[in-house]
Amino acid sequence: MKRVVKLIDENGRRVDGRRPDELRPIRMEAGVLEKSDGSAYIEVGGTRIYAAVFGPREVHPKHLELPDRAVINCRYHMASFSVDERKPLGMTRREIELSKVLREALESVVFVEEFPRMMIDVFVEVIQADGGTRTAGITAASLALADAGIPMADLVAATAVGKVDGIIVLDINEIEDKYGQADMPVAMAPRLGSIVLLQLNGMMTVEEISAGLEMAENAIKTIQQSQIDALRKRYRVEAGGEEL
Amino acid sequence: MVPGQLLSDNGKRSGPGTYTLDGKVYAAQAGIPRVVDGVIRVIPVSGRYRPERGDNVIGIVTDIKPNLIEVDLGGEITAVLRLPERETPPLKLTLGDVIMAEVKSSGLRGVFLDPEGLQKIKSGILITINAAKVPRLIGRKGSMIQLLKKETGCDFWVGRNGLVVVSGRTASSEFAAISAINLIEREAHSQGLTERVVQLLKSLKGDEESG
Repeated sequence: MKRVVKLIDENGRRVDGRRPDELRPIRMEAGVLEKSDGSAYIEVGGTRIYAAVFGPREVHPKHLELPDRAVINCRYHMASFSVDERKPLGMTRREIELSKVLREALESVVFVEEFPRMMIDVFVEVIQADGGTRTAGITAASLALADAGIPMADLVAATAVGKVDGIIVLDINEIEDKYGQADMPVAMAPRLGSIVLLQLNGMMTVEEISAGLEMAENAIKTIQQSQIDALRKRYRVEAGGEEL
Repeated sequence: MVPGQLLSDNGKRSGPGTYTLDGKVYAAQAGIPRVVDGVIRVIPVSGRYRPERGDNVIGIVTDIKPNLIEVDLGGEITAVLRLPERETPPLKLTLGDVIMAEVKSSGLRGVFLDPEGLQKIKSGILITINAAKVPRLIGRKGSMIQLLKKETGCDFWVGRNGLVVVSGRTASSEFAAISAINLIEREAHSQGLTERVVQLLKSLKGDEESG
């Protein structure tokens, strides 16, 4: 089937008018939900996500508990109304997989050894999906963990790079994900210099991957700065002028 | 401070709320940095209560077994109070009683309360605040809680776990005390908190007298 969608125009602009190395507008806020210990809301372009953290609390069901460290229970879920065609209720295979990769990304920064026989619940709820939900989900989840006062080595931030019409682009949206050639979500703990999530859907050469990673790393640093700003804004009143 | 922020190049100065990596100290929690005795610590602005030895906590009796009493400390933490054998309990405790006790030990085996110094709180209003804000409610050497006692005439039992019992002679004095506690919780780390608490209590007193 011949593709009719042209993803990059003659001026080198993308479908939403961005340059290849440009992020979508990002907005985030910490402490948005009252009943959780920590929470965050994030908007990346059309993607909207809430994250909530509970704990550390007692493990339920009991048999999951570990004697030497905390268990992180992560649930990534998309609302039925978050996509064009109604998503059936319940966890799909995709959501179960994303819950696992999110959990593993967060486990690598949280000091789980400090809370033996405890559980930390992380809920990521996608309200509106427009590409990059797993990366925005990780960014929101790590902000919610920090808001919940859970000790961690660094804030995790994430974005995706992709290959569209043969060009490496940053932070791909839904259209570019659907019709582009490759999609590579990257999550990093930038101050530790470690990559905590890396997936690739499609084909990229080694050079393209390293170019993409470099692009992602710079963007992740920017995203982390917004996380820090959101956290500082949340506690500005309490800290009373003192810098958090 | 936010998690991952560099605090010091000297790894030996790492205190609570921080961690060391490659000989440098970084913040592990969101909070305010303080240097106490040459050790850097981050005072968290949020987070659940973690029982530590020596903490005075308030709990609700949830289960009574032959020589063991289970106490709910809030935040889904259950502590155990072991009563000495062949001795009648010093206080007659029943389900739902509110007690104050010291944490004897806390670790893998669970949280144990010290039966010595155990206190039963007979009446009052039980309220819950965020455990991270309890030190502010108590104040430096108890200054804030002394102020509340003096201004409202109520009795206070403050648990390190965030449970607080207020008991006063009149409903309006209890109301004033709880309003002040809510203010302290909301603006815990801001400057001039004491003045604002005094102002609030004064305005509440004024309302009472005029109305």
